[in-house]
Amino acid sequence: MNFMTMTTKKTTLLDTVEYGVDARYNSQEEKQNDAQLLMQARRDRMARTSEQDIMRAKLMQLKLQIDEYLNSAESDVQHQFTSFLNTYINTIYEKQQQFAQDLDITPVSLSQILNNHREPKEEFFKKLMIHSERIFKAIKGFHKQSWYQVYYRDKINETMAHQDEWREELEKKIKFPAFS
Amino acid sequence: MNIIEVATSQSHLIEIAPVQKSDFKNLPANRYFFDWNEEAAFKIFKLTIKGKDDILGLISFERIPDEMRIHVRLLTASVENVGAAKIYDRIIGNLLTYVAKLAVRDFGEWACISLRPKTQIAKHYIDKYKMNITGVTLSLEVPEIFELIELYDHDN
Repeated sequence: MNFMTMTTKKTTLLDTVEYGVDARYNSQEEKQNDAQLLMQARRDRMARTSEQDIMRAKLMQLKLQIDEYLNSAESDVQHQFTSFLNTYINTIYEKQQQFAQDLDITPVSLSQILNNHREPKEEFFKKLMIHSERIFKAIKGFHKQSWYQVYYRDKINETMAHQDEWREELEKKIKFPAFS
Repeated sequence: MNIIEVATSQSHLIEIAPVQKSDFKNLPANRYFFDWNEEAAFKIFKLTIKGKDDILGLISFERIPDEMRIHVRLLTASVENVGAAKIYDRIIGNLLTYVAKLAVRDFGEWACISLRPKTQIAKHYIDKYKMNITGVTLSLEVPEIFELIELYDHDN
């Protein structure tokens, strides 16, 4: 039932606006026709969208995905740090080598980090925080420490996912006080 | 994100969370204007003041990944929060912003939220939220979608 039929008092435009919207499609045909028109219009608008706005959208997307990962309860996801780092680099640079140069690290060590063959060092994180602080300036709510948080969240997920590999051996080495 | 208590200008932090099955019995049409049970197959989110249970606004929507957009189906504030005597302001804007952020998270530079108002309210949405109009569909994309997020996505 439409809200207009449910109200007995005379509604003003402001009331109507705030009552909200019933934007449901009446038929599949209506939905498809609208979709085609809208997609064409969006393509035209996208062609006029600046490179700067496109990059801002990609960085905002990355920030929101990082937030989602840090706030989620999922524990079976791994290597998100390198996945997000890859996205970050590919959003800003044409070649990873350029990022390595800007961070004053070797392309080889960057490649090893990105391929999960080497753990990033403390200095890498600090450089990354300084770099992303500037890059994300236009994106409200980005916290530079997110990189650390994602990295350690990965570590926790990885450790918990592989309990069967380390738990039994370690349990043999641990002693417990009598009352426990 | 926050809403403003009109009488005192006080800001209240809000939460936007999925409607639970147990919520449906507390969503009468005479307070929320639509039969929300009809929307059970879609995603419905509720807006509440942080730490409180009372639902002040609702939005249902459909993700359309093939078209990289989210279509808003129903959107409303509760009856005491509409018109000149409303208690809280910014409810609708916050609900739209929540969906806008989901669209940016999922579709990046192609992010789009759309709605299809059946009444004379289109102009208000175009003016207030800078929505684009295509036929009868209103939509918000990059870069205008940033402005909405900037305006509502903060805690103070």
